[in-house]
Amino acid sequence: MPYLGGEETVRELRRALSNPNVQSDQLRYRNTILKVIRAMSQGVDMSGLFSEMVKACATVDVVQKKLVYVFLCSYAALNPELSLLVINTLRKDCQDPNPMVRSLALRNMTNLRLPSLVEYVEQPLAAGLRDRAACVRRVAVLGWAKLHNLQASSEIDAAVVNELYSLLRDPDPVVMVNCLRALEEILKDEGGVAINKPITHHLLNRLKECDIWGQCQVLRVLQRYRPQSEDELFDILSLLDASLVSPHPPIMAATLSLFLSLCSGQPAVSLAALERVRGPLLAACGSGSREMRFTALCHIQLLLRSIPGLMGAHYKRFFCGYAEPAYIKQRKMQVLVELVNDENVAMLLDELKGYCTDVNAETAQAAITAIGRIGRSYSDRCLEILTGLLGLKQDHITSAVVQTMRDLVWVCPQCSDTVCFALEGCEETLQDSQGRQALLWLLGVYGERVSSAPYTLEVFIDGVRSEASLGVKMELLTATMRLFLCRPAETQDMLGRLLHYCIEEETDMCVRDQALLYYRLLHCGIEETRKVLQGRRSDPSLGVLIGRPAEPVSQWARSFNTLEPLRQGSIETESVSRGSPEHTMFDPKPNADLSNTLDCSRIEKVHSGKEDFVWMEECVRCPTIPRCSPQSLQAAMQLVNIQTLAFTPPQTLPWRVYLYTHTCLDDAPHSTLILGELLYTGEEPQKAEVHKDDKALKGFLSILTTVLHTLSSERA
Amino acid sequence: MIGGLFIYNHKGEVLISRVYRDDIGRNAVDAFRVNVIHARQQVRSPVTNIARTSFFHVKRSNIWLAAVTKQNVNAAMVFEFLYKMCDVMTAYFGKISEENIKNNFVLIYELLDEILDFGYPQNSETGALKTFITQQGIKGQVSKTKEQSQITSQVTGQIGWRREGIKYRRNELFLDVLESVNLLMSPQGQVLSAHVSGRVVMKSYLSGMPECKFGMNDKIVIDKQGKGGASDDAGKSGKQSIAIDDCTFHQCVRLSKFDSERSISFIPPDGEYELMRYRTTKDIILPFRVIPLVREVGRTKLEVKVVIKSNFKPSLLAQKIEVRIPTPLNTSGVQVICMKGKAKYKASENAIVWKIKRMAGMKESQISAEIELLPTNDKKKWARPPISMNFEVPFAPSGLKVRYLKVFESKLNYSDHDVIKWVRYIGRSGIYETRC
Repeated sequence: MPYLGGEETVRELRRALSNPNVQSDQLRYRNTILKVIRAMSQGVDMSGLFSEMVKACATVDVVQKKLVYVFLCSYAALNPELSLLVINTLRKDCQDPNPMVRSLALRNMTNLRLPSLVEYVEQPLAAGLRDRAACVRRVAVLGWAKLHNLQASSEIDAAVVNELYSLLRDPDPVVMVNCLRALEEILKDEGGVAINKPITHHLLNRLKECDIWGQCQVLRVLQRYRPQSEDELFDILSLLDASLVSPHPPIMAATLSLFLSLCSGQPAVSLAALERVRGPLLAACGSGSREMRFTALCHIQLLLRSIPGLMGAHYKRFFCGYAEPAYIKQRKMQVLVELVNDENVAMLLDELKGYCTDVNAETAQAAITAIGRIGRSYSDRCLEILTGLLGLKQDHITSAVVQTMRDLVWVCPQCSDTVCFALEGCEETLQDSQGRQALLWLLGVYGERVSSAPYTLEVFIDGVRSEASLGVKMELLTATMRLFLCRPAETQDMLGRLLHYCIEEETDMCVRDQALLYYRLLHCGIEETRKVLQGRRSDPSLGVLIGRPAEPVSQWARSFNTLEPLRQGSIETESVSRGSPEHTMFDPKPNADLSNTLDCSRIEKVHSGKEDFVWMEECVRCPTIPRCSPQSLQAAMQLVNIQTLAFTPPQTLPWRVYLYTHTCLDDAPHSTLILGELLYTGEEPQKAEVHKDDKALKGFLSILTTVLHTLSSERA
Repeated sequence: MIGGLFIYNHKGEVLISRVYRDDIGRNAVDAFRVNVIHARQQVRSPVTNIARTSFFHVKRSNIWLAAVTKQNVNAAMVFEFLYKMCDVMTAYFGKISEENIKNNFVLIYELLDEILDFGYPQNSETGALKTFITQQGIKGQVSKTKEQSQITSQVTGQIGWRREGIKYRRNELFLDVLESVNLLMSPQGQVLSAHVSGRVVMKSYLSGMPECKFGMNDKIVIDKQGKGGASDDAGKSGKQSIAIDDCTFHQCVRLSKFDSERSISFIPPDGEYELMRYRTTKDIILPFRVIPLVREVGRTKLEVKVVIKSNFKPSLLAQKIEVRIPTPLNTSGVQVICMKGKAKYKASENAIVWKIKRMAGMKESQISAEIELLPTNDKKKWARPPISMNFEVPFAPSGLKVRYLKVFESKLNYSDHDVIKWVRYIGRSGIYETRC
């Protein structure tokens, strides 16, 4: 049936519906109604037929009734007056001896979703709660929830709530679970069902009777329960042990989630529970359906945040199949990166290398990024693979490799020689702006070691007029400036041309401003310029934390078994694969990837664009701080939402810690990024911050000072 | 909870839409179509977020099933529910296809009405649903409402999956062990991953309320029995026992008994159902070995030789063997020589398809092909997709054996001996790939 020409269809169907000949022939009548519903679900507006359909409702034929109800429930909101006519038929059906008809009528009465009809519905609903057929009670219980949803502001009838509480003891498990669901909705403002000891024990005892959906619901509600004694806690845990290893992934996940919330005070118990679900989780990862596999993978990523070694021995389970969809492959690679260790690194890299030539460009890029991540610990092997990939001369691979190399070099400066050597000649294959930006950054920073650097830049500068990407132009400016500092003779001429073009002809303000800034900087003298531009290539005295430290389980326990882990990852995939520092830098996620937040060009801009940033320094006397362990400092900082980026090893001088945090003030439209450095030069620790919001900065300083004082008083 | 369920065809036309909660607007149907079905790039995730609404989708052949919600729900449960929904529909009208959905339009609306209420899953057991659903797959014959007593006894009774008062003249049981072997092998013949996922499917035509007991050569059970019984027996059967990694049962199986004694006892639903699903990863009998040999002769020629070896009892016959050897995109011509079966180069699929009707155990067969390539400037290297294989063998590659299946019915006077039982093993290939 066509989408358009709806009016024609409506007219035709109306004629058929009101035709007495059709009405007398049951089969024809039903078929016409069928056509109406078919058109309705295809998106044609059928609301004009409402009155005809109301008439069709009065019939003994259950099938026809069901069909008409489907129609009525969809359009009742548009015709509240006419819907009143239906109520009578429905109320009559509620008295029918057949329980199926009763439940059908009751359900549809509540599905009409009309506030004006509430008064007529209440009485049959109340009777439905006491019906002898369980299927009617099921419907009635949920009916109250729908009613409440319809007029959320209305007062809650205490008698109904009491009755619902008593129905928790109903012999039918579905009625019981529906009661829980209804009470959760009705009492939402009070925080849901009251979960006390008797109710908890009752629910736990009947858990086995429920179907999968019921069990999930019960387990979820029970998360609010706090056992009164340790004995009780362990009784509950041992009772639930069977469902923890349940072969149904939803039940397993719900039980684990309940375990984590019950044992929030006992980390050892939760860790034991996590160990126990390893088997079922791995099974879910290999399950036949890809969506379930995906969900399981996302949850495994959560677990690995706390117990990195959990899946170490089973790394082969995360190898990708050829026909798997890209989203699963990318997740698996993210997991594989976490699982790498001395024994399996060769095997893993071999596998990842295979994925780099995947047909799907995104998957290939993800594989290359994954190799780069492993390269932080096993740089030689990974660089060998990455350089090999350059030989393929494919633009998307080369681009990903260059970006990965940039990230790697920032963290592991010892790789720079190999990288510089590999860079020769890859500018020909690079097509996309991200890759060229990465190449330019590398050429700028390591220009003195790449012999062909000026020639490469010259090609870029000659083509600058036709360059479309803003990022590339800005990166080009910076790179040329940097190269000028180390190889002035070869670069001077082209720098002049570039600056001239950018200042005189460029239309984009950002590029023009940056060019002007550099131009004025050059006026200040070469030493000034050097001070601004020769930022860090990476800090060799900096022991960057490779691999995240194990997080406490409580960090993610709340989001376990919800949608959150599925979403989180997708943000990460995007940012990792694109590697765009602009996005990750201001990503409010505390666990953002370290390498991406640390991009040199950003930091340098912090120094140059002074109008956007505030810089503060303050001295604090807490001499014991450098002597406390990095872990305790980190834990303390995380309590107040400050993340540590990197440390120097303890007992070295000067001792430094880099910190960052985000502030989100209610009145400010943007969040502010605060970068901080704790510096201890021997006498007294100092700290310095770079940032742009004065008020937030002061707040940050005072928090930091408090933390430091608390820590040092603990030590003393 | 689920706010709404939509079913689309491959073009994105809405076949079925049912909204359960007010928070899902009418435009949600279109939002999913525009953002996911009509999106140019590949699907990025089975969960899509559009304007604070989450869409969970599952694809069956070219039909999209999407569940919509505004709440932060338990993702695993929603997917499990969608699978269940597919199972129920398949049980009613067979394969989920556009044609079938259009024909069983009313039935699906009826099902959606019963399975979910206000977005909460209610009753999802096909057997139990049958009493509430007036339609009967495809033909849409109207069976008048069933006897009332039946409904009440069923909805109030403990056993939701079986009606009372079932009678058959011949009491019969059919038991199928269906397994699919999945393999990923490196070119050097190293097994990278292998697992078997199996299903025990039963068709029961039994009178009354029989109690069944099912036994198989599960390692834990055999070891347990071995300790108690004669040591000789344990030694013999211990070799043949298998280690099951994990298993799922139909809801009729008493899990408490399984946990304590590892015995599988149940009151079976009537008709066809899946009793259990399991997975094994250890000691799998790989029915076939594929040995690939690819040689690049210059830039315009490839030589491929593939040997397959069957690895099971010579008395057994494998059927429907198909080996699919991928070829590069720039293939211009292929010459194939094979000893057995038929081989053909299918340009549309970029593969050489080699079919053998039957092959006995412990045999070997080989194919060699010369592939001519067109010289291209495209520098893209050929990704060398793995060689995949399909087959069917009359045994269970996991080694699972049914040891007994006993039927007890105390009220009616028929005993275990009177029941006719049929057992069949079928092993099929799942994703059976060898890299080359």
